Amino acid sequence: MQFPIFQVPYLGNGLTIALDGIVHVVISHGFAIGAMAIIVLSEYLGFKNSSRRWESFAKDFLRFSVIIITGVGAVTGVGLWLITSALSPRSIGSMLRVFFWPWFLEWIVFSLEVSVLLIYYFLWDRWSAKKKKQHIRLGFSYVLLALFSAVLITGILGFMLTPDGWPWNKSFWAAFFNPSFLPQLLLRTGLSFIMGAVFSAGYCLATRRDADFRREALRLCGKVALVLFAVTAVASAWYLQSIPSRFRTHAAFAILTSKLSQHPELFYLINAAGALILVAFALLSLRGSSSILRALLVPALLFSLGFVSEFERIREFTRGPYLMPGYMYSNQVLLEENPFYNEAGLLKNSFWFNKTTDNPDPIKQGVYLFAQNCSSCHTISGINDIKDRVQGRTEDGIYVILGHTREMVPFMPPFSGTEEERKILAHFFFALSEGEIKLGAPSRFAPLAGSKNE
Amino acid sequence: MLVKPLGGELLRGLLFVSFYLHLSFVLLAIGTAIISLFYFLGNRGDKSTGEARWDREILRTFMAHKSLAAVLGVGPLLLIQVGHSVPFFSSIGLWAPVWMALILLLIVASLAIDVLGHRIRGRRSWHLGLGIIGLASFLGVPAVFVVVLVTAENPEGWFAIIKNNFRLAGPLALHWLLRYLHILGAAIVIGAAFHYLFSKRKDSRKDSALSRWLVIGILIQFVLGPLLYLSLPRRPGAAANLFLLIGVIGAGLLLRSVYYLKNKGRAMGIKTLAPISALVLFFMLLTRQTLQDKTFLPLEREYQAKAAIYEKTLGPFRQPSVQKYQSDLDIVYDRGAVIYSRSCAFCHGDAADGDGPEAKNLAVPPENLSAVRTDRRTLHKIILAGTPGSGMPYFSFFDRSKIQGLMDYLDQKWGVLGPNEPPPGPVPQAALEQAQKIYDQTCAQCHGQDGRGSRQAQDFRPSVPDLTVYNLTPQRTFAIISNGYPGTVMSGFSAAYSEDVRWGLAKIINDKRK
Repeated sequence: MQFPIFQVPYLGNGLTIALDGIVHVVISHGFAIGAMAIIVLSEYLGFKNSSRRWESFAKDFLRFSVIIITGVGAVTGVGLWLITSALSPRSIGSMLRVFFWPWFLEWIVFSLEVSVLLIYYFLWDRWSAKKKKQHIRLGFSYVLLALFSAVLITGILGFMLTPDGWPWNKSFWAAFFNPSFLPQLLLRTGLSFIMGAVFSAGYCLATRRDADFRREALRLCGKVALVLFAVTAVASAWYLQSIPSRFRTHAAFAILTSKLSQHPELFYLINAAGALILVAFALLSLRGSSSILRALLVPALLFSLGFVSEFERIREFTRGPYLMPGYMYSNQVLLEENPFYNEAGLLKNSFWFNKTTDNPDPIKQGVYLFAQNCSSCHTISGINDIKDRVQGRTEDGIYVILGHTREMVPFMPPFSGTEEERKILAHFFFALSEGEIKLGAPSRFAPLAGSKNE
Repeated sequence: MLVKPLGGELLRGLLFVSFYLHLSFVLLAIGTAIISLFYFLGNRGDKSTGEARWDREILRTFMAHKSLAAVLGVGPLLLIQVGHSVPFFSSIGLWAPVWMALILLLIVASLAIDVLGHRIRGRRSWHLGLGIIGLASFLGVPAVFVVVLVTAENPEGWFAIIKNNFRLAGPLALHWLLRYLHILGAAIVIGAAFHYLFSKRKDSRKDSALSRWLVIGILIQFVLGPLLYLSLPRRPGAAANLFLLIGVIGAGLLLRSVYYLKNKGRAMGIKTLAPISALVLFFMLLTRQTLQDKTFLPLEREYQAKAAIYEKTLGPFRQPSVQKYQSDLDIVYDRGAVIYSRSCAFCHGDAADGDGPEAKNLAVPPENLSAVRTDRRTLHKIILAGTPGSGMPYFSFFDRSKIQGLMDYLDQKWGVLGPNEPPPGPVPQAALEQAQKIYDQTCAQCHGQDGRGSRQAQDFRPSVPDLTVYNLTPQRTFAIISNGYPGTVMSGFSAAYSEDVRWGLAKIINDKRK
C-alpha cells in the first residue's frame, strides 16, 4: 500500500505532529485529568464544609476547563489522528490493524467521557442541594473515565517503544501489556496531576481575591503536586529502565540534538532546574505565599510544558529507526520490504511515482527517492534540512554513507532501493548541496510541487 | 502484512451506526451555529425584543453538539480507515493540507462560538467578529470532509486531481459542491427540527420562526436533492433508489406536518415528529453508504487480492528481517568499540588501516587511522565536523560522552592520541638540509612555513591539515610524500627526490607537531 506523499514545508512532518501532540497532551493530561480531579475535589470540599467559596471556585474553573477541553483538547486529540493519517498513513493504518479493538473501545470511552463531562457541566445548578452528592459522584466517574482513556492509549503508545515479543508472534496481549505500559501509565498519571495542580494554582492566583480562600486552595494544589512528585520520580526511573538500552542511550541526544550534543551537562542542568522550580512551587503553595508564587507561575508552567514535551520527544525519538519496532521503519518502509526494494527497485514499485510522471529525469527520481526514504524526518530547505546533512561531502562519499545509514547512525533507517537508485539519490543530494539544483521547500514530490525549481 | 481486524457486514454495520450518531450531532452543531448566528445578526444590538435572546438560547447548546460531533466522529474515522484503507488514505494524501487544516478550523470555530455562547465580556462588534469567524471556520469543516469522501469514492479521478495541481475539477467538483450544500441544507433541517421540537413551547413567535426554518430547510433539500442525484458519478442502483425514496417520502411527511397541518391547527406532536426526522436521516445516510459501498466493495476485493500477492513476494524476506531486528536491538551505541565497528569501520576498516569494504568506492581514500597521531581537541573537531571535500561525515549525532569513548578506543587500540614518533632510522644531515630547502620552496606553498597551511591553500577541499596539531606515523608520512594522497592536491614525489630526502621531509613535517 502506498499513498501520495505530502510533506509540511519548512516545519517537517515530525514537528507538525509534535506541535499538535504537545498541545493535546498538556490539555488531556493537565486539564482533562489533573485539573478536573482538583475541580471535583473542590466541589466535594465545598459540599463537605458547606463553603460557597470552594463551590464557586470549582464552578468557575470548570467553565474555563470545559471550553479548553472540548474546544482544544478533544480537537487536537482527533487532530493527532488527522495529521498522522495524512503524513504517515501506512503507520497509522498498520497500528489500527493491531489495535483496532482498544481504539474502538477508546472511542466509546472517549464519547462517554465527553458526555459525562457535558452533563456534569450543564447540570451543576440543577443538581444542587439534595442531588449534590450525586453530582459529585458524576464528577469522580468522569475522572475515572478519563484515566481509563489514558490506560487504553498508553498501551498503544508503549507498544511503539517496547513491542516485546510482538514482532515474532504478533500476539495482541503481548503488544498491549508491553514492558513500558505500566511505568508509562504511572508516569503519565503523575504528570497529569502535577500539571493539574499547577494549572489550578495558576487559575486560583489569577481569579481569587479572597486571601484566606486562596491560601486554602493553594494548599490543596501543593499537597496534590507533592504527593505526585514522589510517584512521578519513581515512575520515571522505572520507565527509563523499561526502554531497551539500544534506544535509551539516545535519550539525551533526543533533547540536545546535533546543535548541543557536545554539551550534555545542559541536559542535566535544565532538568534539575525544572524539577527544582516545580518542587519549590509546590512547597510555596503549601505555605500559601501568593506573591512569590505569582513570580514562579510562568516558569512553573513553562517547565511543566517542557517536561511533557521532553517525555514525548524522548519516547518518539529514541526508538529511532523504527515506527513500529520489528515491523516498520520510521520512513514507513516495512522491515521485510527493505531487502525487496534493494533487489527489485523502489521507483519501479512506487505506484504514485509511476502514475503521475513518466519523466526519466534523474532529478525527479532523486526527489522521489528522497520523499520515500528521507522525508518523514528530513526536509529540503526547512528544519533538519538534508542539504545541511550532506554539505561538504563528495558524491561518492554520499553514495557510501547512504548505503550504511542504518549502522552509521543508530536512529536512521536503511536506504531502500537498488545501487543504481542509491547513485541517483547521491547525485541529487550532491547537486543540491553544491547549489547546482535549487529547490524551494517542496510539499509534493510527484509531481514536484510547492517549490521553485530553477 | 497485518490482518484486518474486522470486515464484511460487521464493519459496515458499525460504520453505519457510528456515522449516523456522528452525523446527527454534526448536523445539529452546524444547524445551531447557522440559525443562532442568523438571529444574532438580525438583532443589531436590540436587546429588548424577545427574539434578541433566541440566539443565545440556541447557541448555548452548541458546545454540547460540537463536542459530541467531534468525539463521535472518531468511530467512523477508525472504521473507514480500517475497512477501506486504500481509497481513504489515498484521498487524504491528495488533500493533505486542507485535511490537516481541519484542526485549525475546528479549534477556531469552537473557541469563537463557545466564547460567544458564554458571552464572555467584550463589545458587540467583537461578538459579531467572533460569530462570523466561528461560523466561517465551522462551515469549512464539512467542505473538507466532503471532498475527501468524494475523492475516495472516485479512484478514477485521482490522477486528474494531481494533474490539475491538486484541485478538483469537472463533474466531480460540481458533485462536491452540491453534496456540500446538501449537507448545509440537512444541517438547517436537523438543527431547526431539534430546536423547534425541544425548545420550551411558550414563545409562539419563536415557535413559528423555527418551524419556518424547518420548512425552508426541507424546501432547500427538495431543490438540491434532485440536482445532487443527477450529479452522481455512477448509477445508484435499486437499493439506493429505494432507500432514497423512503427518505424523500419521510421528508415530505415532515414538511406536510410542519407546514400544512400546523396551519390548520393539527400539528403532529414531538412524539411523531422526532422519530420521523430521525428516520429521514437514517434512510438518507443508508442511501449514502449504499452508494459508497458500490465503489468501495469492489475496490476492497481488488486490493485484497493485490495484497495477497505482495505478501507472497515479501515472504522470503520476513524471517531474516525480524532476525536482523532482534540482533540489532542488542547493539548498544554506548562504547567506543561498538561505535567504531558500526559507524567507522565500513570505510576505515576493522584494522583502522583505511581499507574498509567501502574504501574502493571513494576517490579520496579513508585515512589510515592507525597511523594518525594527534591531540584530543583536534580529533574531536574532525569527528564533529567531518572533512569537507571527502566522504568523511560529521558525527555530532553522538553526544559528547560517546565521542569521548570513541576517541579513547582509537587511542587505546592504535595510539591515535600518542606523541610524535621519530623516523625508523637516522636521516643523513645532507638529506635533511636538502629536504628543508624543498619544504621551504615546494611544500610550504600549500602547507605553510609553519605547517598550518598557507593562504593560497585556504580553499582546498579537503583542506590542508594543520601539521602542528595533526600528523601521522613517519612511515605513513613517508608513504604519502612518496605516493601522494589520491583525490587531493597532494601529489607523490618518489620520482623527484631520493629516499633519504623523503625521510628527511617526513621528519621535518612530523616535527612541526610539538
